[in-house]
Amino acid sequence: MDEMDLPQMKKEVESLKYQLAFKREKSSKTVTDLVKWIEDGVPEDPFLNPELMKNNPWVEKGKCVIL
Amino acid sequence: MAAEKAEMDALKKECDALRTQIEAARKAANDGSMSAAAGGVASVGRVQLKLRKNLKGHLAKIYAMHWSADSRSMVSASQDGKLLVWDTFTGNKLVAVPLKSAWVMSVDFAPSGNLVASGGLDNICTVYNIKAASPKTLRELDAHTGYLSCCRFLSDSEILTASGDTTCCLWDLETGKQKIIFTNHIGDCMSLALSPDMNYFISGACDSLAKLWDVREGACKQTFSGHTSDINAIAFFPSGNAVITGSDDCSCKMYDLRADQEVLDYTDSSLNAGVTSLALSNSGRLIFAGYDDFNCHIWDSLKGEKVGVLSGHDNRVSCTGVPEDGMGVCTGSWDSFLKLWN
Repeated sequence: MDEMDLPQMKKEVESLKYQLAFKREKSSKTVTDLVKWIEDGVPEDPFLNPELMKNNPWVEKGKCVIL
Repeated sequence: MAAEKAEMDALKKECDALRTQIEAARKAANDGSMSAAAGGVASVGRVQLKLRKNLKGHLAKIYAMHWSADSRSMVSASQDGKLLVWDTFTGNKLVAVPLKSAWVMSVDFAPSGNLVASGGLDNICTVYNIKAASPKTLRELDAHTGYLSCCRFLSDSEILTASGDTTCCLWDLETGKQKIIFTNHIGDCMSLALSPDMNYFISGACDSLAKLWDVREGACKQTFSGHTSDINAIAFFPSGNAVITGSDDCSCKMYDLRADQEVLDYTDSSLNAGVTSLALSNSGRLIFAGYDDFNCHIWDSLKGEKVGVLSGHDNRVSCTGVPEDGMGVCTGSWDSFLKLWN
Protein backbone atom coordinates (compact mmCIF):
# COMPACT_ATOMS: atom_id res chain seq x y z
CA MET A 1 0.00 0.00 0.00
CA ASP A 2 1.59 3.23 -1.18
CA GLU A 3 1.64 6.54 0.62
CA MET A 4 -0.95 8.93 -0.78
CA ASP A 5 0.03 12.00 -2.75
CA LEU A 6 -1.53 15.44 -2.31
CA PRO A 7 -4.54 15.04 -4.64
CA GLN A 8 -5.31 11.61 -3.13
CA MET A 9 -5.11 13.02 0.38
CA LYS A 10 -7.56 15.79 -0.55
CA LYS A 11 -9.94 13.17 -1.95
CA GLU A 12 -9.58 11.14 1.25
CA VAL A 13 -10.60 14.19 3.32
CA GLU A 14 -13.66 14.74 1.11
CA SER A 15 -14.56 11.07 1.34
CA LEU A 16 -14.28 11.04 5.13
CA LYS A 17 -16.45 14.15 5.40
CA TYR A 18 -19.08 12.45 3.25
CA GLN A 19 -18.89 9.25 5.31
CA LEU A 20 -19.12 11.19 8.57
CA ALA A 21 -22.39 12.76 7.39
CA PHE A 22 -24.11 9.34 7.23
CA LYS A 23 -27.26 9.22 9.37
CA ARG A 24 -26.52 6.42 11.82
CA GLU A 25 -29.46 4.70 13.52
CA LYS A 26 -29.32 3.35 17.04
CA SER A 27 -28.10 -0.24 17.18
CA SER A 28 -30.77 -1.13 19.75
CA LYS A 29 -33.28 -0.68 16.95
CA THR A 30 -31.26 -1.91 13.97
CA VAL A 31 -30.00 -5.07 15.63
CA THR A 32 -33.46 -5.90 16.97
CA ASP A 33 -34.86 -5.45 13.44
CA LEU A 34 -32.15 -7.74 12.07
CA VAL A 35 -32.91 -10.47 14.61
CA LYS A 36 -36.64 -10.23 13.85
CA TRP A 37 -36.04 -10.36 10.09
CA ILE A 38 -33.99 -13.53 10.44
CA GLU A 39 -36.39 -15.19 12.86
CA ASP A 40 -39.29 -14.43 10.51
CA GLY A 41 -37.38 -16.08 7.68
CA VAL A 42 -36.37 -19.28 9.51
CA PRO A 43 -39.61 -21.19 8.74
CA GLU A 44 -38.96 -20.60 5.00
CA ASP A 45 -35.30 -21.59 5.22
CA PRO A 46 -34.83 -25.11 3.78
CA PHE A 47 -31.79 -25.71 5.98
CA LEU A 48 -33.82 -25.07 9.11
CA ASN A 49 -37.24 -26.42 8.17
CA PRO A 50 -37.04 -30.12 7.22
CA GLU A 51 -40.55 -29.94 5.70
CA LEU A 52 -39.16 -27.82 2.88
CA MET A 53 -36.42 -30.34 2.14
CA LYS A 54 -38.94 -33.15 1.47
CA ASN A 55 -38.50 -32.74 -2.30
CA ASN A 56 -34.75 -32.72 -2.31
CA PRO A 57 -33.54 -31.84 -5.84
CA TRP A 58 -30.18 -33.53 -5.26
CA VAL A 59 -31.49 -36.92 -4.19
CA GLU A 60 -32.70 -39.47 -6.72
CA LYS A 61 -36.35 -40.25 -6.19
CA GLY A 62 -36.65 -43.67 -7.75
CA LYS A 63 -34.02 -46.36 -8.14
CA CYS A 64 -33.40 -45.46 -11.79
CA VAL A 65 -32.48 -42.12 -13.28
CA ILE A 66 -33.59 -41.28 -16.81
CA LEU A 67 -30.58 -39.78 -18.58
CA MET B 1 8.58 21.40 -0.96
CA ALA B 2 8.12 22.62 2.57
CA ALA B 3 4.75 24.14 1.67
CA GLU B 4 3.59 20.85 0.19
CA LYS B 5 4.74 18.91 3.23
CA ALA B 6 2.92 21.37 5.47
CA GLU B 7 -0.25 20.94 3.43
CA MET B 8 0.07 17.12 3.59
CA ASP B 9 0.51 17.26 7.34
CA ALA B 10 -2.55 19.46 7.68
CA LEU B 11 -4.59 17.09 5.56
CA LYS B 12 -3.38 14.06 7.53
CA LYS B 13 -4.44 15.81 10.72
CA GLU B 14 -7.83 16.53 9.19
CA CYS B 15 -8.22 12.86 8.20
CA ASP B 16 -7.35 11.70 11.69
CA ALA B 17 -9.80 14.16 13.20
CA LEU B 18 -12.58 13.01 10.84
CA ARG B 19 -11.89 9.36 11.64
CA THR B 20 -12.10 10.13 15.36
CA GLN B 21 -15.43 11.87 14.79
CA ILE B 22 -16.75 8.87 12.84
CA GLU B 23 -15.75 6.54 15.69
CA ALA B 24 -17.47 8.83 18.17
CA ALA B 25 -20.64 8.88 16.07
CA ARG B 26 -20.57 5.07 15.95
CA LYS B 27 -20.14 4.83 19.71
CA ALA B 28 -23.08 7.15 20.17
CA ALA B 29 -25.22 4.90 17.96
CA ASN B 30 -24.11 1.77 19.81
CA ASP B 31 -26.78 1.41 22.48
CA GLY B 32 -27.69 -2.24 22.01
CA SER B 33 -25.64 -5.35 21.31
CA MET B 34 -26.40 -8.40 19.18
CA SER B 35 -25.85 -10.72 22.13
CA ALA B 36 -28.55 -8.86 24.00
CA ALA B 37 -30.97 -8.82 21.06
CA ALA B 38 -30.36 -12.49 20.20
CA GLY B 39 -30.34 -13.65 23.81
CA GLY B 40 -33.89 -14.99 23.67
CA VAL B 41 -33.58 -16.62 20.27
CA ALA B 42 -33.80 -20.42 20.20
CA SER B 43 -30.64 -22.28 19.23
CA VAL B 44 -30.57 -23.98 15.82
CA GLY B 45 -28.90 -27.05 17.32
CA ARG B 46 -26.37 -29.03 15.36
CA VAL B 47 -26.65 -28.60 11.57
CA GLN B 48 -25.68 -31.87 9.91
CA LEU B 49 -25.72 -31.92 6.15
CA LYS B 50 -25.15 -34.86 3.86
CA LEU B 51 -22.88 -34.91 0.84
CA ARG B 52 -25.30 -35.38 -2.05
CA LYS B 53 -23.05 -35.07 -5.07
CA ASN B 54 -19.34 -34.94 -5.81
CA LEU B 55 -18.81 -33.25 -9.16
CA LYS B 56 -15.69 -34.40 -10.97
CA GLY B 57 -14.47 -32.80 -14.15
CA HIS B 58 -11.92 -30.13 -13.47
CA LEU B 59 -8.25 -31.09 -13.72
CA ALA B 60 -6.78 -28.44 -11.45
CA LYS B 61 -7.66 -26.14 -8.53
CA ILE B 62 -11.14 -24.69 -8.57
CA TYR B 63 -11.04 -20.99 -7.76
CA ALA B 64 -14.64 -19.87 -8.11
CA MET B 65 -18.22 -20.96 -8.64
CA HIS B 66 -21.58 -19.27 -9.02
CA TRP B 67 -25.18 -20.48 -9.12
CA SER B 68 -27.53 -19.63 -11.93
CA ALA B 69 -30.75 -17.86 -10.92
CA ASP B 70 -32.64 -21.08 -11.77
CA SER B 71 -31.03 -22.80 -8.75
CA ARG B 72 -30.24 -25.76 -10.98
CA SER B 73 -27.27 -24.78 -13.17
CA MET B 74 -24.00 -23.67 -11.77
CA VAL B 75 -20.73 -22.47 -13.31
CA SER B 76 -17.28 -23.28 -11.93
CA ALA B 77 -13.85 -21.96 -12.86
CA SER B 78 -10.56 -23.79 -12.58
CA GLN B 79 -6.97 -23.02 -13.32
CA ASP B 80 -7.11 -25.95 -15.74
CA GLY B 81 -8.25 -23.16 -18.03
CA LYS B 82 -11.93 -24.03 -18.24
CA LEU B 83 -15.30 -22.84 -17.08
CA LEU B 84 -17.78 -25.68 -16.66
CA VAL B 85 -21.53 -25.20 -16.52
CA TRP B 86 -23.18 -28.04 -14.59
CA ASP B 87 -26.73 -29.35 -14.26
CA THR B 88 -26.62 -30.04 -10.54
CA PHE B 89 -29.76 -32.19 -10.60
CA THR B 90 -28.14 -34.81 -12.86
CA GLY B 91 -24.48 -33.98 -12.25
CA ASN B 92 -23.98 -33.57 -16.01
CA LYS B 93 -21.74 -30.99 -17.60
CA LEU B 94 -23.75 -28.77 -19.94
CA VAL B 95 -21.14 -26.41 -21.36
CA ALA B 96 -17.35 -26.16 -21.31
CA VAL B 97 -15.82 -22.76 -21.98
CA PRO B 98 -12.10 -22.79 -22.81
CA LEU B 99 -10.34 -19.74 -21.36
CA LYS B 100 -7.67 -17.65 -23.12
CA SER B 101 -5.94 -17.32 -19.78
CA ALA B 102 -5.94 -20.25 -17.36
CA TRP B 103 -5.25 -18.02 -14.33
CA VAL B 104 -8.88 -17.47 -13.47
CA MET B 105 -9.94 -16.10 -10.07
CA SER B 106 -13.61 -15.31 -10.44
CA VAL B 107 -16.71 -16.41 -12.30
CA ASP B 108 -20.32 -15.21 -12.40
CA PHE B 109 -23.62 -16.23 -14.01
CA ALA B 110 -25.85 -13.47 -15.38
CA PRO B 111 -29.37 -13.44 -13.85
CA SER B 112 -30.79 -14.21 -17.32
CA GLY B 113 -28.71 -17.38 -17.57
CA ASN B 114 -27.49 -16.32 -21.03
CA LEU B 115 -24.05 -15.07 -20.05
CA VAL B 116 -21.15 -16.02 -17.82
CA ALA B 117 -18.14 -13.87 -16.98
CA SER B 118 -14.68 -14.71 -15.70
CA GLY B 119 -11.32 -13.10 -15.10
CA GLY B 120 -8.10 -13.37 -13.17
CA LEU B 121 -4.42 -12.65 -13.58
CA ASP B 122 -5.01 -11.49 -17.15
CA ASN B 123 -6.62 -8.31 -15.62
CA ILE B 124 -9.50 -8.79 -18.03
CA CYS B 125 -13.16 -9.62 -17.40
CA THR B 126 -14.35 -11.75 -20.32
CA VAL B 127 -18.06 -12.20 -20.92
CA TYR B 128 -19.29 -15.28 -22.80
CA ASN B 129 -22.63 -16.10 -24.37
CA ILE B 130 -23.26 -19.73 -23.36
CA LYS B 131 -26.61 -20.02 -25.13
CA ALA B 132 -24.96 -19.86 -28.55
CA ALA B 133 -24.25 -23.17 -30.36
CA SER B 134 -20.75 -23.04 -28.92
CA PRO B 135 -19.64 -20.56 -26.24
CA LYS B 136 -18.92 -17.20 -27.86
CA THR B 137 -16.84 -14.39 -26.38
CA LEU B 138 -19.15 -11.38 -26.17
CA ARG B 139 -16.84 -8.80 -24.59
CA GLU B 140 -13.35 -8.46 -23.20
CA LEU B 141 -13.41 -5.74 -20.53
CA ASP B 142 -9.83 -4.60 -20.46
CA ALA B 143 -8.94 -1.53 -18.39
CA HIS B 144 -7.96 -2.74 -14.94
CA THR B 145 -4.24 -2.51 -14.20
CA GLY B 146 -4.35 -5.35 -11.72
CA TYR B 147 -5.82 -8.86 -11.48
CA LEU B 148 -9.55 -9.38 -11.63
CA SER B 149 -10.58 -10.81 -8.27
CA CYS B 150 -14.36 -10.68 -8.60
CA CYS B 151 -17.09 -9.98 -11.16
CA ARG B 152 -20.84 -9.65 -10.63
CA PHE B 153 -23.54 -9.13 -13.28
CA LEU B 154 -26.31 -6.64 -12.61
CA SER B 155 -28.01 -7.69 -15.85
CA ASP B 156 -27.05 -8.71 -19.39
CA SER B 157 -25.95 -5.12 -19.97
CA GLU B 158 -24.01 -4.19 -16.83
CA ILE B 159 -21.32 -5.84 -14.73
CA LEU B 160 -19.29 -4.86 -11.65
CA THR B 161 -15.67 -5.88 -11.25
CA ALA B 162 -13.20 -5.76 -8.35
CA SER B 163 -9.46 -5.66 -9.01
CA GLY B 164 -6.00 -5.98 -7.52
CA ASP B 165 -5.45 -2.42 -8.81
CA THR B 166 -7.53 -1.35 -5.72
CA THR B 167 -10.52 -0.18 -7.74
CA CYS B 168 -13.94 -1.54 -8.56
CA CYS B 169 -15.64 -0.71 -11.81
CA LEU B 170 -19.12 -0.63 -13.35
CA TRP B 171 -19.05 -1.57 -17.04
CA ASP B 172 -21.52 -1.12 -19.85
CA LEU B 173 -21.65 -4.42 -21.73
CA GLU B 174 -23.24 -2.87 -24.83
CA THR B 175 -20.19 -0.65 -25.39
CA GLY B 176 -17.58 -2.57 -23.43
CA LYS B 177 -16.61 0.67 -21.70
CA GLN B 178 -16.21 1.66 -18.05
CA LYS B 179 -19.17 3.66 -16.69
CA ILE B 180 -17.96 4.37 -13.17
CA ILE B 181 -14.67 3.69 -11.40
CA PHE B 182 -14.89 3.28 -7.62
CA THR B 183 -11.68 4.43 -5.92
CA ASN B 184 -11.10 4.59 -2.20
CA HIS B 185 -9.47 1.31 -1.12
CA ILE B 186 -5.73 1.38 -0.51
CA GLY B 187 -5.22 -2.32 -0.98
CA ASP B 188 -6.12 -4.94 -3.62
CA CYS B 189 -9.89 -5.42 -3.86
CA MET B 190 -10.59 -9.10 -3.29
CA SER B 191 -14.36 -9.49 -3.33
CA LEU B 192 -17.62 -7.72 -3.97
CA ALA B 193 -21.31 -8.36 -3.35
CA LEU B 194 -24.43 -6.69 -4.73
CA SER B 195 -27.26 -5.67 -2.41
CA PRO B 196 -30.53 -7.59 -2.93
CA ASP B 197 -32.12 -4.46 -4.46
CA MET B 198 -29.00 -3.95 -6.65
CA ASN B 199 -28.68 -0.27 -5.66
CA TYR B 200 -25.56 -0.81 -3.57
CA PHE B 201 -22.53 -3.02 -3.52
CA ILE B 202 -19.94 -3.80 -0.90
CA SER B 203 -16.25 -4.48 -1.52
CA GLY B 204 -13.63 -6.19 0.65
CA ALA B 205 -9.94 -5.54 0.20
CA CYS B 206 -6.40 -6.26 1.36
CA ASP B 207 -6.49 -3.02 3.36
CA SER B 208 -8.73 -4.98 5.83
CA LEU B 209 -11.65 -2.69 5.05
CA ALA B 210 -15.11 -3.28 3.64
CA LYS B 211 -16.66 -0.35 1.76
CA LEU B 212 -20.26 0.31 0.78
CA TRP B 213 -20.89 2.07 -2.54
CA ASP B 214 -23.93 3.40 -4.37
CA VAL B 215 -23.89 1.61 -7.74
CA ARG B 216 -24.95 4.79 -9.59
CA GLU B 217 -22.55 7.23 -7.86
CA GLY B 218 -18.82 6.78 -7.52
CA ALA B 219 -18.50 7.72 -3.86
CA CYS B 220 -17.81 5.41 -0.94
CA LYS B 221 -20.73 5.81 1.49
CA GLN B 222 -19.50 3.81 4.45
CA THR B 223 -16.27 2.10 5.52
CA PHE B 224 -16.14 -0.85 7.92
CA SER B 225 -12.99 -1.71 9.79
CA GLY B 226 -12.08 -4.32 12.41
CA HIS B 227 -10.42 -7.05 10.42
CA THR B 228 -6.67 -7.30 10.75
CA SER B 229 -5.95 -8.85 7.38
CA ASP B 230 -7.24 -9.22 3.81
CA ILE B 231 -10.99 -9.53 3.41
CA ASN B 232 -11.38 -12.40 0.91
CA ALA B 233 -15.11 -12.91 1.03
CA ILE B 234 -18.11 -10.68 1.44
CA ALA B 235 -21.87 -11.14 1.25
CA PHE B 236 -24.97 -9.06 1.80
CA PHE B 237 -27.49 -10.24 4.31
CA PRO B 238 -30.74 -11.15 2.50
CA SER B 239 -32.46 -8.18 4.21
CA GLY B 240 -29.94 -5.80 2.66
CA ASN B 241 -29.21 -4.18 6.04
CA ALA B 242 -26.13 -6.10 7.07
CA VAL B 243 -22.99 -7.50 5.54
CA ILE B 244 -20.87 -10.52 6.41
CA THR B 245 -17.13 -10.54 5.72
CA GLY B 246 -14.54 -13.34 5.83
CA SER B 247 -10.85 -12.65 6.26
CA ASP B 248 -7.32 -14.03 6.29
CA ASP B 249 -7.36 -13.12 9.99
CA CYS B 250 -9.43 -16.34 10.43
CA SER B 251 -12.61 -14.54 11.43
CA CYS B 252 -15.90 -13.52 9.91
CA LYS B 253 -17.72 -10.38 10.97
CA MET B 254 -21.23 -9.00 10.68
CA TYR B 255 -21.50 -5.28 10.03
CA ASP B 256 -24.82 -3.49 10.54
CA LEU B 257 -25.24 -0.95 7.73
CA ARG B 258 -27.85 1.20 9.48
CA ALA B 259 -25.83 1.59 12.68
CA ASP B 260 -22.63 1.78 10.62
CA GLN B 261 -20.61 -0.69 12.73
CA GLU B 262 -19.55 -4.23 13.53
CA VAL B 263 -22.15 -6.07 15.58
CA LEU B 264 -20.83 -9.62 15.74
CA ASP B 265 -17.59 -11.47 15.30
CA TYR B 266 -17.29 -15.14 14.36
CA THR B 267 -14.07 -16.56 15.75
CA ASP B 268 -13.07 -19.83 17.30
CA SER B 269 -9.72 -20.44 18.99
CA SER B 270 -9.48 -23.83 17.27
CA LEU B 271 -9.84 -22.20 13.85
CA ASN B 272 -6.48 -20.95 12.68
CA ALA B 273 -7.13 -20.88 8.97
CA GLY B 274 -8.08 -17.97 6.77
CA VAL B 275 -11.61 -17.60 5.43
CA THR B 276 -11.71 -17.89 1.65
CA SER B 277 -15.39 -17.71 0.82
CA LEU B 278 -18.83 -17.45 2.33
CA ALA B 279 -22.52 -17.87 1.58
CA LEU B 280 -25.70 -17.39 3.60
CA SER B 281 -28.80 -19.52 3.94
CA ASN B 282 -32.00 -17.82 2.75
CA SER B 283 -33.05 -16.50 6.16
CA GLY B 284 -29.52 -15.37 6.88
CA ARG B 285 -29.45 -17.52 9.99
CA LEU B 286 -26.66 -19.79 8.75
CA ILE B 287 -23.29 -18.71 7.40
CA PHE B 288 -21.37 -21.24 5.32
CA ALA B 289 -17.73 -20.20 5.45
CA GLY B 290 -14.98 -21.92 3.48
CA TYR B 291 -11.57 -22.02 5.13
CA ASP B 292 -7.97 -22.86 4.27
CA ASP B 293 -8.27 -25.84 6.67
CA PHE B 294 -10.09 -27.80 3.90
CA ASN B 295 -13.47 -27.43 5.64
CA CYS B 296 -16.57 -25.34 5.31
CA HIS B 297 -17.71 -24.35 8.78
CA ILE B 298 -21.32 -23.44 9.51
CA TRP B 299 -22.03 -20.55 11.87
CA ASP B 300 -25.25 -19.45 13.58
CA SER B 301 -25.27 -15.82 12.46
CA LEU B 302 -27.24 -14.60 15.50
CA LYS B 303 -25.50 -16.49 18.28
CA GLY B 304 -22.01 -16.34 16.84
CA GLU B 305 -21.50 -20.07 17.42
CA LYS B 306 -20.21 -22.80 15.15
CA VAL B 307 -23.06 -25.23 14.51
CA GLY B 308 -21.69 -27.59 11.93
CA VAL B 309 -18.94 -28.46 9.49
CA LEU B 310 -18.77 -29.80 5.95
CA SER B 311 -15.72 -32.03 5.71
CA GLY B 312 -14.58 -34.01 2.74
CA HIS B 313 -12.37 -31.84 0.60
CA ASP B 314 -8.68 -32.72 0.37
CA ASN B 315 -7.52 -29.17 -0.05
CA ARG B 316 -8.53 -25.57 0.65
CA VAL B 317 -12.23 -24.73 0.14
CA SER B 318 -11.96 -21.83 -2.29
CA CYS B 319 -15.59 -21.07 -3.05
CA THR B 320 -19.03 -21.54 -1.52
CA GLY B 321 -22.49 -20.80 -2.86
CA VAL B 322 -26.13 -21.20 -1.90
CA PRO B 323 -28.65 -21.12 -4.79
CA GLU B 324 -31.59 -18.70 -4.79
CA ASP B 325 -34.06 -21.37 -3.67
CA GLY B 326 -31.85 -22.00 -0.64
CA MET B 327 -32.09 -25.77 -1.04
CA GLY B 328 -28.45 -26.56 -0.41
CA VAL B 329 -24.87 -25.38 -0.54
CA CYS B 330 -22.05 -26.00 -2.99
CA THR B 331 -18.39 -26.01 -2.00
CA GLY B 332 -15.54 -25.86 -4.50
CA SER B 333 -11.97 -26.69 -3.67
CA TRP B 334 -8.35 -26.68 -4.73
CA ASP B 335 -8.78 -30.48 -4.75
CA SER B 336 -10.59 -29.93 -8.11
CA PHE B 337 -13.99 -31.14 -6.90
CA LEU B 338 -17.30 -29.45 -6.26
CA LYS B 339 -19.50 -30.91 -3.57
CA LEU B 340 -23.22 -30.38 -3.06
CA TRP B 341 -24.61 -30.65 0.45
CA ASN B 342 -28.01 -30.39 2.08
